[in-house]
Amino acid sequence: MTGMTEITEYYARQYHRLAENLPGQGTEWIKAYRHSRLSRFKTTGFPTTREEDWRYTSVRPITSREFSAIDASQPVEPDLWNSDQHLIEGLDSYRLVFVDGVLRTGLSDISPEDGVRVDSMANVLNERPDSIQHHFDLEQTEESHGFTELNRAFSKDGVVVELGSNVALEKPIELLFLSAGGESLAQPRNLIIAREGCKGQIMERYLSVREGASLTNSLSEVVLEHGAEVDYYLIQGQSSEACQVSGIWATQASESRFSCRTITLGGALVRNELKSRMLGVGAHCDMFGLYSLSGKQHVDNHTTMVHGAPGCTSNELYKGVLNQRSRGVFHGRIKVERDAQKTDAQQSNNTLLLSRNAEIDTKPQLEIYADDVKCSHGATVGQIDDVSLFYLRTRGISESDARSLLTFAFVNDVLNEIEIEPLKTLLESMLSNQLIDDQ
Amino acid sequence: MLSIKDLHATVDGKEILKGINLEVNPGEIHAIMGPNGSGKSTLASVLAGRDNYEVTSGSVTYRDQDLLDMEPEIRAREGVFLAFQYPVEIPGVTNVYLLKAAINAVLKHRGEEELDAMSFLKLIKQKAALVEMKQEFLYRSVNGGFSGGEKKRNEILQMALLEPHLSILDETDSGLDIDALKIVAHGVNALRNDQRSMILVTHYQRLLDYIVPDYVHVLAGGEIIRSGDKSLALELEEKGYGWIESQADAA
Repeated sequence: MTGMTEITEYYARQYHRLAENLPGQGTEWIKAYRHSRLSRFKTTGFPTTREEDWRYTSVRPITSREFSAIDASQPVEPDLWNSDQHLIEGLDSYRLVFVDGVLRTGLSDISPEDGVRVDSMANVLNERPDSIQHHFDLEQTEESHGFTELNRAFSKDGVVVELGSNVALEKPIELLFLSAGGESLAQPRNLIIAREGCKGQIMERYLSVREGASLTNSLSEVVLEHGAEVDYYLIQGQSSEACQVSGIWATQASESRFSCRTITLGGALVRNELKSRMLGVGAHCDMFGLYSLSGKQHVDNHTTMVHGAPGCTSNELYKGVLNQRSRGVFHGRIKVERDAQKTDAQQSNNTLLLSRNAEIDTKPQLEIYADDVKCSHGATVGQIDDVSLFYLRTRGISESDARSLLTFAFVNDVLNEIEIEPLKTLLESMLSNQLIDDQ
Repeated sequence: MLSIKDLHATVDGKEILKGINLEVNPGEIHAIMGPNGSGKSTLASVLAGRDNYEVTSGSVTYRDQDLLDMEPEIRAREGVFLAFQYPVEIPGVTNVYLLKAAINAVLKHRGEEELDAMSFLKLIKQKAALVEMKQEFLYRSVNGGFSGGEKKRNEILQMALLEPHLSILDETDSGLDIDALKIVAHGVNALRNDQRSMILVTHYQRLLDYIVPDYVHVLAGGEIIRSGDKSLALELEEKGYGWIESQADAA
């Protein structure tokens, strides 16, 4: 193995070069925080397949290149933005547009309704760092790996959203992250605070606007107070050269409901780490996932449900459609703490293999320390059913239409969880184009 | 309508059909009876185009075209319909979606205008009434959680909608109670006219009390060993398949 130390050093040097200009660096605790994160990064380095949590996913496509953060002081090239291509038709949202990880206010609509505060992470770190210090401090005890620490060391830009108590957000907040290729490094760091009894939809969407390799290393923390309800969307449609490591980590208080849909249609190497820690009685978490892959795409969904209080429920359903030489990984960890009695946790991962050369590795991991618990998990791997295909053809439906129809039928229950209609329509058309292209 | 000449077919290298000859004219109903394993369902599948059967020799001509040369969907669009012995459940595809896709595929193939949502719904309601199918079944997944009888009624509903020239009903009576059998038979009889032909594949004579055939053929060991009118079915019912097989062996 060559280059692991060198590549870690490369990012450390990049950090030192940029450190002075990072937002909030003048504030003593932020500077100290960054330094400690960087030294953790240098110690841990990037994960390797020798680690159990990364056994099926090699990050070589990431560590074999040198990605670098773009110069945020330069304006966006005008030909980069194309609203017809980049916006979701018919979607009315509060939209924040990031290009290579830098918020571009000119393309954004940052003024939502009363009781909702949306600000860039850079602004918050510069102007009111104390308001988020608490959330940064909480991290000290968590498990982490090199990507997380690298993101935290930079803590450069992203968004801080605060949904006030009992606010019901009228429109989704859409965070649109564009990659412009050119070996760019984007490391958005987002913090969503959902106050007591509030309700809202938040979407992270990732697109490539140019060909070429890019790395997005994103981290979003979602804090749900008592009774808060957050519907979260992670929509990935990057180019076939783009790599992404993304974390969405929720902390849930009592009676809160967090529901996340992860839809991955693009990207060369994608690793998604979803985590919910249910720390209050009666919290509920859903994680729905859909990945439809072709070429040599590699997508790894790594989920963790921590039942840390009594009476919490969780439901997890991931469905994959793998074509050509693509590879899927699903790792579903459910941890039920000692006093989390009356836990109900369901998990399933179903995969449709459309090619002999596609591969899925699926692994449930249940750690149960309480005794009054309902936990179930299941995984299936299958192909298009010949009899169903024949049945549809005897009704006059062409073979290619029948294949598409059966594939759609397979992912239908996950698609139906998408409650933002214009997004659902877009994804359906992307999926059907993909299926036609792959045939 | 349909002319089968010396048809031989194998599955996994084993010969199941050993020289079938059958002529079906417009408006005729032919019943094909026979013991289990005689090749009845294989014949139905070969006619519909199932690809795990290999036709080794012989020919099938349908309305002056080589049927065996057509893909299953082309056969369907040209007016051949197979009602399955075991209709497939397809979770995630609604019945109404399948019905609409099917009728529009047929209409498009004929160069006719496809149905819009309104005219389709009007038509499907009328057809559903024919097989006494409740509307809620239209919006469920195809055959999802349907009882045996409901599945068979759904097959007849599809047939009624597509109005095929040649219908092949593979053991449509199996698993039906007498009430469901009457409903299915009523649906089939309503489609009967002097242009449409049907092949009823069945093990029992019972279905033929309700759908009266013009001809009855007995299939055994991959060959039609005897043909006659509807009285042959009654004779079989009385004497059993052993009787006719031993006669065939003697001859």
